[in-house]
Amino acid sequence: MASDPFEAEALTFLDALYRTALRMTRSEADAEDLVQETYIKALRFRDQFTPGTNLKAWLFRILTNTFINSYRRRQTQPEFTELEDVDEFSLYRRMSDLRTSSAPGDPEAELMSGLVDSEVKDALAELPEKFRSVVLLDVEGFSYKEIAEMLDIPIGTVMSRLHRGRKFLQKRLLDLAQQRGIAAVRATPQKG
Amino acid sequence: MDCDDCVDRLFAFLDTELSEEEVKSIRAHLERCDDCEPEFALEARFLDLLRQCCTSDVAPAELRQRVVLRLRSASPPTP
Repeated sequence: MASDPFEAEALTFLDALYRTALRMTRSEADAEDLVQETYIKALRFRDQFTPGTNLKAWLFRILTNTFINSYRRRQTQPEFTELEDVDEFSLYRRMSDLRTSSAPGDPEAELMSGLVDSEVKDALAELPEKFRSVVLLDVEGFSYKEIAEMLDIPIGTVMSRLHRGRKFLQKRLLDLAQQRGIAAVRATPQKG
Repeated sequence: MDCDDCVDRLFAFLDTELSEEEVKSIRAHLERCDDCEPEFALEARFLDLLRQCCTSDVAPAELRQRVVLRLRSASPPTP
């Protein structure tokens, strides 16, 4: 393993960088290339990193910049897809409707435990890229401010993309659960 | 703080992005509101599910090896 403390610490973020790259590019080969490029740039520009500051955030900034400059262009989804129709969606309201209209049971628990990882990941893959990036960076534990700096967008934009992205995922996953007939979530009218 | 104010700040609250004062107001509201408390709990559960799903993957061993080799070859030799 790397004996240099900078390199050793940088390597501890390999899994996090890879899984984020994988969901950003939606391709294993591109994700591996993107991660390698990130480490090559990190080494090249390591003098620009201030020791004692957040190395994970610094590496993710390189990753997101590299993605935006080199990989985003190859994405097939239109870059400026909006998600306006999800603004009014409320998982809680929909679950409340299900609770009153379906058989006894706990639809929330059944929804949460009935969904498998691959379904959540598929829903994430369907999320337009600019929303997906914000959701992924949030999942990795970055603050709104850190995400705003990484993507060079205002904090208000981070908040609205996060809000819409999460609502999109909830709507997709609830629709999917209903199609799959997950216990109490099955056969109920769709609202909202 | 009423229900609308509270729900408007739901994600910012769960993301720990609010001031101490706002957090206190929301907590006080949640303690006495039977509508907002379960909504916050459901959203928190959803965020946990999302986080768990997204943070479980690990990088392929081969990629790790390639990155380690790359780091070694780029490092100055240790005396």
